[in-house]
Amino acid sequence: MSVLTLLYDPGCGLCRRVQGWLAEQPKLIELRMIPIKTDAARRRFPELNHDLTSEDLTVISDRGEVYFGPKAWLMVLWSLTRYRDWSYRLAAPELLPTTRRVVSLISQHRYQISRVASSLAR
Amino acid sequence: MNLEVATYLLYLGISITLTIWVAHTLHKNGRIFLVDVFHGNEPLADSVNHLLVVGFYLINLGFVSLALKLGYDIATPKEGIEALSVKVGTVMLVLGAMHFFNLLIFHRMRQRATRLNAPPPVSADGFTPVEEV
Repeated sequence: MSVLTLLYDPGCGLCRRVQGWLAEQPKLIELRMIPIKTDAARRRFPELNHDLTSEDLTVISDRGEVYFGPKAWLMVLWSLTRYRDWSYRLAAPELLPTTRRVVSLISQHRYQISRVASSLAR
Repeated sequence: MNLEVATYLLYLGISITLTIWVAHTLHKNGRIFLVDVFHGNEPLADSVNHLLVVGFYLINLGFVSLALKLGYDIATPKEGIEALSVKVGTVMLVLGAMHFFNLLIFHRMRQRATRLNAPPPVSADGFTPVEEV
């Protein structure tokens, strides 16, 4: 596995901020970011159900493995030099349920979080 | 030869022998670690191993020579042995600390190397064909 493609939601401020942070992180695996439901995304993954990608973060490897939601977040952590250890910790059986809960909570409320964050920044 | 010089010579003999022994152990057993870290690249492993041992020698012999001076007179053989024991004890502790520090370096290098090739933390949810554009 040498490339991970992130399908992210450009309409959410939090996602854009995370994307900016990701761009600066040292990586063990190349990360490509493509906004969801764009021509670029459909061209690269012609058989993917693109309606699902707006519900949660989707990560797809260059070999075609699809990771969705919490697993996608763990894969992103795994690709980063500084956080690979954390990806294993958070994926351990004892922590995985909590990881799932926290990640889906953030994903579901990403627009609210973005609004609160931008109003705080103002 | 008076008592002080004898103590110094004994101190040097014991410390240098200890340093050589620890360095030799490190060199012999660290090699396996390094070969693993460098994925079987033995010339590179040997080179790094040698460089580590040189550093180990320099630091330890430097410490041994700095710690030589007693700073007080020795009147009896009993005092000589006591002084010797304090000095050699200190050298052993420093050698021990250095040795564990080296083990830590080996461990870190190995960990980093294994982490690079580690599998993903989770299994895939599914598969989809990828079109290279």
